[in-house]
Parts: sequence; C-alpha cells; structure tokens
Amino acid sequence: MFEREPNIDIVFRNGLKNMEVLPPADVWDNIPPMPVRHSRLRIITGIAAGVAAMVSLALMASWYLRSNNTGDTLNEITIASGAQQAVTIDRSTAIAGALPADLPPAVITDQASPVEPVSETTLTLAADEPLQLLATADMPQLQEAHGTSLPVNPDEITVISSRRLTGAAESLAPTLTPATGEATDQRFIVGASVSPSVGFSPSGQDLRLSELMNSEKTRATYTTGVTFGYKISNRLTIQSGVGLSSIGQTITGVDVFAGLSDFYAVKSSYLYSVETSSGLILAGNTDLFLTDSKDRVGTLIQGNMADPSKYPLTQVGDDIQQVFRYLELPLVLRYKVIDSRLGLNLSGGVAYGFLVDNMAYTGEGSDMVQVGHTEGINAHNLSSQFGLGMEYNLSSKISFNFEPVFKYYMTPISNISGSFYKPYSLGVWSGFFFKF
Amino acid sequence: MPGLHKERDIIDGCLSGSRRDQELLYRRYAPKLYAVCLQYAGNTEEARDVLQEGFIKIFENLSRFSHEGSFEGWMRRIIVNTALERYRSRYYLSRVDDIDEVTEPEADPDNNDFAGLEAFDLLNMIMELPPKYRMVFNLYAIEGYSHKEIGEMLGVSEGTSKSNLSRAREILQKKVMILTGVTRRMVNV
Repeated sequence: MFEREPNIDIVFRNGLKNMEVLPPADVWDNIPPMPVRHSRLRIITGIAAGVAAMVSLALMASWYLRSNNTGDTLNEITIASGAQQAVTIDRSTAIAGALPADLPPAVITDQASPVEPVSETTLTLAADEPLQLLATADMPQLQEAHGTSLPVNPDEITVISSRRLTGAAESLAPTLTPATGEATDQRFIVGASVSPSVGFSPSGQDLRLSELMNSEKTRATYTTGVTFGYKISNRLTIQSGVGLSSIGQTITGVDVFAGLSDFYAVKSSYLYSVETSSGLILAGNTDLFLTDSKDRVGTLIQGNMADPSKYPLTQVGDDIQQVFRYLELPLVLRYKVIDSRLGLNLSGGVAYGFLVDNMAYTGEGSDMVQVGHTEGINAHNLSSQFGLGMEYNLSSKISFNFEPVFKYYMTPISNISGSFYKPYSLGVWSGFFFKF
Repeated sequence: MPGLHKERDIIDGCLSGSRRDQELLYRRYAPKLYAVCLQYAGNTEEARDVLQEGFIKIFENLSRFSHEGSFEGWMRRIIVNTALERYRSRYYLSRVDDIDEVTEPEADPDNNDFAGLEAFDLLNMIMELPPKYRMVFNLYAIEGYSHKEIGEMLGVSEGTSKSNLSRAREILQKKVMILTGVTRRMVNV
C-alpha cells in the first residue's frame, strides 16, 4: 500500500483545504472599525445628482432674478389700485405725463437697496397734486416739504394708489401690462422622464457573428433621468439633463451550475468564458460551472486536471443576462410642429454615455447569481435619437410628454476586433415637465 | 443560493459602516483564514499578527471587491499577500544552488492512501519547515502559483524557487512516511 511515494502536493492541498482553527479571542478587539466608503456607482450618481441640483438652483435663481427685476436701474413704476390689481408702466412713459392727473391722494414708498435694511417712507399727498409730479419731483424738496428725512432715489420709486384707478386702465392700456404674478415668459423647463424601449441588434457581419446572434435575444431596456430645457423661441427648445440608460441581451442555451468551488480550488480570476456578439463574458464567479452545446463556452480547466461535469453541482440557470448601464448626458433639440394645448413635437439629438455598470448574471430576483462581466466593452459611447410625439399641456406650467423615440448607437458597444455591436431601440420617452 | 445573498448582505452592511456586520464577517471567515496564517507564519504569534493585519486590509479594501469572483478566495489572497509582506521584511532568503528541473509528483487526484492524515498533523509539518521552504511549498503546492510568479513574489530566481520546493517536498515526504508508518504499526498491534 505504501510502496510508492505519495503525491505530497495533493496530500497537503486536500488535507488543508477546509481546515479551520479558531483564532485567539482578542484579535477581533484589535481590529478597528472600517471606514465607510462609497461604491463607484454611488459616487458617480452622487456627482450627477449634485450637478442636477446645481443646474436646477441656477435655473431657479435665473427665473427669480428675471421675475424680480430690482436692480440699481429700475425702470418701472408699479401702481397698485386698492391692493387688488397692480399695473406696470414704463418710467419714461410716466415722465412723459401718460398718467392721469386725478389720482390723488397717493402713497409713496421708497424701496431701499436689497443689501440695506428695509426702510419705508409714506408720504400723504394732497388731492390736487398731480401724480406725474411724484415721479419727476425733486425728491429732496419733496422730503423737506413733507417733513421726511429718508433719502429717496428717484430711479427707484413705487407709487401705490389708495383708490381704484377709475378709467385709468383704459387710458393706459397701450402702456400698462397686467402683473398677475404668473410669469408670462416661461423659457425654462425641468422634469423627470422615463423611456422604456425594446432593443434590436443589426444582423451579423460574418458567419460566426450571425451564429452568436441567433442564440441571443435583446432585452427590454429603459432610460430614466432628469431633463432641463431652455426655450430658444416659441417653437424651438434645447434640452439636456442626466439619465441612466440600460441596454443588454440574453444569451440563451448556456447552462450554469453552482458549487464548483467545493471541488476545485482556483487561483485565476476566472475559469469560464462565453463568446457573445458584444464581447467575451469572463465568469469571475469561480463557483460556477458553465456549459453549452454551441461551442461558445471556453474554460481554463484542462481535461486531464478535472471534469466538473461529474461533480454534484446545482443548476442555477440556463441563460445569461448581459447588462450594460450608462450614465447619459443628452443634448436634444425639440421643435413644436403644432403649438396648442395638445401639441406635436419633433425631436432629435445625441447622448454621450459613460459606462457605469457591466455585469452578466443568471437567474432573476432573489435567485439572481452574478456570473461576471463582458470584456472589451467601451467605457464611452455616443448615441443619436429621433422622436415624434405629443405634448399635452395640463396647465400653463405643467405638461405631459409622450413621444415615441428611435435611438441608434453610433459608436460600437464593444471594441473587440470583428465585433461591431451597435444596437438600436424603439421606445417611448414620456414624463411630466414644469415650465417656469 | 441563499448563502451567496447572505454574504452579499454582510458585505453591504460592512460597507455602510455596520460594526455588527463586520464582526459577523470576521466570525464567519476568521477560522479558515487563521489556518492559512498558520501555514505561512510558522508560529501562533506571527499568525495572529498576520490575521489582524490582513483583516484590517480586507475591511479597508472591501469596496473594491466586485462580487464577481469568490469572496473567500479574494480574502485569502489578501491574507497570503500580508504574510508574504511580513516574510519579505523579516527574512532574507539564503541562496541555495539553483536547479532547472524539478521532478513533479505524479498527479493522481484519486490517491486516497493518505486521507487518514489529520489536517493538524499536516499543518504542523508545514509549520516546522524552514521559512524559505515553507513559503515556496505553500505558494506552489497549495495556492497553485508558478515558479516564475513565486520568484517575483519572493524576490528570488525561478531556480531558487524550484530548489526550495524540492527540498520542502523531501522533508515533508519523510515526515509523512514516518507518521503514516507509525500509524500503521499502531493499527497492526
């Protein structure tokens, strides 16, 4: 029985394979708490959210400044009648005497500079003082006459009438604009969108590629994101934003079994590979045994070393899902073909994508098992899109878009030589948008 | 594969800063990894330091684990590298005569002649080896690295790696024969 020398390597490898020894009790106490670190995807998503928030804030600030034009050179005089209705006139018109002379008594308030403490002075005028004089009056003299001491800048003056402007509205119609508090010039758009779509792959360029594609099925894909837009004209809008786009395919006919690591110890980063039209899937999960009948599965395990097909493994799937996720920055021009409550839009643009996730797995939901990743996938891509769809204005500020979109990847997904996998998709871009 | 998901949950918990999940991960894997530490360190004091240092590295680099390979294998590599770093900083590999060829033992996975050997006996035999032989034997026979890789890891030539392996095998062979011979005689009595 012991006549020949033992294979000492195997004796030790097998003998120590599952050995466990309880470590000293105080080792754990000397291991400090680990620092909290965020994954790459989380960091990228965080940056994207930060950029989106900053753009939103910038747009809102811009809108606020536009709607509250209180700069140093205020050129408007606001007249409010009975605190119910406000009208705005151009200052030059007021000076030219467009205001009626029978508006007294009136109240004058001084709008202090936004950076200075708010101060307000009220002057009660005699009934026979013409209003246009208030705008053009020599302010120091006026203050002296009425016993006030606060400086009043004649360029920043608001006149509030205590009585209704009877008949004034009609006479000022050409120069007065009702200020109802609702912005009449809504140039900015912000909204959230989702675009479910179905992907397609072009036919293979050679026999092998065609064979591979015959065993692959495209997956339903989607794009979600936040959209910002600027209205260049009444009909033309330029849109951008940030979105997360997912594309992929199902590799059918590959049987996946788990439990290999109980029988086979490995040192390499993967044991199996699967040839696909978009590149080679490297099965980094070395617990898996992969097999198929179409000569797509390769392995580093040599036949004289082990035969995993004889091990009692558990099947966990019969196909592999190949998924790529991109962080997309689109730039889209949208033209209103029909501009009404139910409008029709024509859109076209490009999107630049950064690869943030490249995974291959089998099973679904709680039974999902990570297989590995696809080698040679480009980290960036450029896609184009064209759409024609409707825009329904729910109110003057909120609209709903429903737009069928055709999307085509202009750069190949994979940089593997001979593989020019450029999928395209048909989807529906839809979402709610807020105008301001 | 419920075990797989549980493992992922623990990793996610560790990454979110949960000390409880960190301890759970330690309790689950420390016994296996401590055995690896003993294989490389040669004594319990050194093994304990390697385990502690290794686990600190595991936690520090946990966010880099991609969930694609075996998590245990990933941790094992960190522990082995930690042991190698300590070895490189402490020992100087004395040169031995380089040899070009090593007689590989015949591969026979079905050989169960020595299945009766206790794991602790085997571990003790490895721990008793001189450090330079122990390192090369572990890396070649247990981990599966090539002599070229081992040479790069330990900063020695391929020939030195082969020589050390050859010597380690000789020593272990004798120990195994002695132990199994004694065992058989005891059984026969």
